[in-house]
Amino acid sequence: MFFLHNLEHTVTLHPSYFGRNMHELVTAKLVKDMEGVCMGDYFIIAIMDTFDVSEGRILPGNGLAEFTVGYRAVVWRPFKGEVVDCVVVSVNPHGFFCQAGPLRLFVSTSMMPEEIHYDANASPPQFTNNADMVIEPNTHIRVKLINMRTEVGEMWAIGTINGDFLGCLQA
Amino acid sequence: MNRTVNFGSRLRYPITIVKILKSPGTPIKKQEVLLTYSFEWTRTVGDHINDKTWEETTTTVVNWESPIDGDLKKWFIKEGDVIKGDCPCMTVKEECPHDVQFSGLCARCGKDMTEVNWAADTRDADRAPISMVHDQTSLTVSKTQAVRTEETLQRRLLQSRKLSLVVDLDQTIIHACIDPTVGEWQRDPTNPNYESVKNVKTFQLEDGPRGVARGCWYYIKMRPGLEEFLQRISTMYELHVYTMGTRAYAQNVARIVDPNRKLFGNRVISRDENGNMYAKSLQRLFPVSTDMVLIIDDRADVWPNNRTNLIKVSPYEFFKGIGDINSSFLPKRQDLLTDAPGPAAANGKSAKEAKEAIPESPAVTQLQLEEQERTLEKQIKERPLQILQEKLDKEEEEAEKASTVSEDGEDTPSSQPHHRHQVLSDDDSELEFLEQHLTQIHKAYYEEYDRRRSRKLELDIDAKPDVGDVMDDVKSKALEGCRIVLSGIIPMGIDVLSSEIGLQLKSFGAQIRTSVSRDVTHLVVSTLRPRTSKVRQAAEIPSIKIVSQEWLSECFCKWKKADEKPYLFDVHPDDRPGGKDSAGTVAATGDTETEMDEGEETDARLTNGKPRRKIRLQNPRLRIVNPQGVSHKLEEDDEDSDDEDDGEIDDDLDDEFSPYEPEDGELSPTERLKGFDWGDVDDELEAFMEESTDEDDEAKTDDDSRRTAGKKRKYATDDEGETGSESDRVDEEGNVLSSKRVRRARQPLGGSSLKNQYAPEGNDDNSSLPTPQVTGEEDGYEDMDEAELEADFMAEFEAAEVEEDEEDQPKVQDPQPTTDLGATTVAATQSAGQQESSLAATAAAGKGSENVSGGEG
Repeated sequence: MFFLHNLEHTVTLHPSYFGRNMHELVTAKLVKDMEGVCMGDYFIIAIMDTFDVSEGRILPGNGLAEFTVGYRAVVWRPFKGEVVDCVVVSVNPHGFFCQAGPLRLFVSTSMMPEEIHYDANASPPQFTNNADMVIEPNTHIRVKLINMRTEVGEMWAIGTINGDFLGCLQA
Repeated sequence: MNRTVNFGSRLRYPITIVKILKSPGTPIKKQEVLLTYSFEWTRTVGDHINDKTWEETTTTVVNWESPIDGDLKKWFIKEGDVIKGDCPCMTVKEECPHDVQFSGLCARCGKDMTEVNWAADTRDADRAPISMVHDQTSLTVSKTQAVRTEETLQRRLLQSRKLSLVVDLDQTIIHACIDPTVGEWQRDPTNPNYESVKNVKTFQLEDGPRGVARGCWYYIKMRPGLEEFLQRISTMYELHVYTMGTRAYAQNVARIVDPNRKLFGNRVISRDENGNMYAKSLQRLFPVSTDMVLIIDDRADVWPNNRTNLIKVSPYEFFKGIGDINSSFLPKRQDLLTDAPGPAAANGKSAKEAKEAIPESPAVTQLQLEEQERTLEKQIKERPLQILQEKLDKEEEEAEKASTVSEDGEDTPSSQPHHRHQVLSDDDSELEFLEQHLTQIHKAYYEEYDRRRSRKLELDIDAKPDVGDVMDDVKSKALEGCRIVLSGIIPMGIDVLSSEIGLQLKSFGAQIRTSVSRDVTHLVVSTLRPRTSKVRQAAEIPSIKIVSQEWLSECFCKWKKADEKPYLFDVHPDDRPGGKDSAGTVAATGDTETEMDEGEETDARLTNGKPRRKIRLQNPRLRIVNPQGVSHKLEEDDEDSDDEDDGEIDDDLDDEFSPYEPEDGELSPTERLKGFDWGDVDDELEAFMEESTDEDDEAKTDDDSRRTAGKKRKYATDDEGETGSESDRVDEEGNVLSSKRVRRARQPLGGSSLKNQYAPEGNDDNSSLPTPQVTGEEDGYEDMDEAELEADFMAEFEAAEVEEDEEDQPKVQDPQPTTDLGATTVAATQSAGQQESSLAATAAAGKGSENVSGGEG
């Protein structure tokens, strides 16, 4: 699910950038640092604006200026049971991998409807029910999240296409 | 999915079951209390300060919690049981076997597998340890799942009558380089190489190397006939790519080789997913059974565990001198059969910079990544191809200048492109043969399969033969009956039988011999070192075909005995047998006198067929057959190998050797023997033979060939120990073994070292051919504990009543630098024991008299 979230981040600026357009530089650096980052539970999708840039504080020792920036960002937090649209990345006999934006999902054979089976003779190999459903790389697919796991800067998820309205999206 | 659960090893056995809290049929959760048990233990109680303590036995009742989730099916225990050790206690039906996991999540139920639970002995993440997917390492499966998947695969292959074929990229089906010269040539139709590089494909890598090589173009040349080869092969084989390049590289190459992704599909594995920087393993892709998998690769050493499935192809080198751009991680290759100056040069910089395999660690990996970057940078900066072309142009120019004087001003490369020769040529036919072999194996495999399965038309997975065995059958017929000796091909110190070429020869059904004998059929000679003793020996036996190593590579390539004619080796005229005496040397005769003659003849053969003595009188150094050129090389080779010697003189001599050549100004050792009374020595020897008849550990089974070779060896080398040779001759018929003993006893004097063959004076023209025994003598003396040895020998000499003035002689003769080989020889002497010593004495006695006579002469 997407949220508009108020966040805070500390930006440091090299002394050579000290000058009139410092605030712009701080914002630019913030965007560069934080956009697209996985923050544990959620991804920062886009930074809308900054609402509070603190006064710079010179760090003793190296002369960098430190700004505490309050900003508003669109974040995406995947939830268990959430339905997401993704693109299939690769297919193997155990299941297929797909990508929902920054999140990598795996859908195993046990998470697919009964009639879908692995066809290794096709090139490239695919999952198919011999009818309308063909899952191969670059197929668009709707998946329900089963569970997620996060580590620093990374998130993985297990999904299923077993359910109503899940599976291949008709282009 | 029923699972049997144990109590676990951490309990304080013996335990008594007090109460079972859950009955079969109820669902249980992890860490839920299932039963209570009690155990007895002792503790020390009382007043510790005043030291009034006593032991007290306590019974404690503890809860036992379930390590897994599921439905409790059955208890194996009942209340009141006493359990002595870890044993199964219940069966639980699990909802999910957690047999497919993705990054710590169970792909079946979505549970987090990384959670650590104190109730369970093992982590759930360990239940799926096998990674078998090509493009992922984060997806792991359990053993049962792996078996299931692989069986499905094999059924499918059997159904479509196919096999799996794992294909290497670099130097097997393509050759890659990043030398920008190729791009320039491609854009310049006037360039002589234009035709060759026209079809070279290019790509750039986004995540390629950093630094100078960043954003460089990769130039990919496909092996001639590759497209058709793959098309045809893919009807019989399911193709996989397995490369040591990065994933991006592999995919780009796969796109070039297979634009429609029909051949390889997504079956591409690179070093990113391999999990090992130094070796490839079929088990990474086929963890259960490799019965239906073949490999084609230009390197056998990267497949340490799958040699039976490997078809080694000759490396494809289109861009000369570049080598394999992805080989920085691999150990240096040693198996080249080319004529290039050596493996290092043939493989270019990458080989030179390649590291020996060392245990993997992040730091080392980082180092090697940098190493590879440097290699790539170097290629871009130095442009080896351009240099090659320029060199070739220059040669052309010079040749032209020499022939046509008038065109002097015009021979700039651009004005006369048609005169220029090209560096790159596209003349490789390996794939043709490879296709034949693959077809052959495929056919043989399915013939065998059809034969094995009982009911026709029905799929029978148990009837599938092992493709490795099938290939062995096909291959082993190729060189059947060939008994091959290699000369100058395997670096010394490497066991011939376990070397790459040796293993290959064996797989083709050939027998490898270490020395030349009558029943040998082929002698394979390196064209770089054409003058070895083996060549000389083999030249005497007309049945031996002396061929260059190209013959071998053709045999390996074609999988059949190639016609020797084009490869017959032109033996150096000096090495050819000298007419009449060629046959006599092989036959062993008992008569001392004949033997003596024979020895002389052997020596004479080495001196260009002229009588030896005469030459000796005039100039002992005439024995150098070719002091500057080839023999020098030989010498270096011998030196290298010397480090491997362990003092065992016989082993040492089985390899190459060369005749002794005295130092500048030094008299030939045999010179002193001229006035020598051989009768005396014979008498002495006979006496000695009588007193020592029992055999020691030297009593090995010695075949005829060995004996002959050994004898020849001696004749060629044992100048210093003429007496020793004499003894050999005497008992050639009666007792070879004791003669060996004599030799071995002499070992401390004439050790096995070849090291100091370089004259310390540094005379270039004095490039002596190394002689193991003679030089070893000097060597040994310098190195070993002289006093000790002297004492040893003094005792023996006194017993033998011979003056021991020769002790000093070697030192005077040759103040050589020391080597570490003396130590081993000393050890050998000491362990040889009393009997050996007495033998040594006899040998030394011979020497002593030799010296005397030398003095007289």
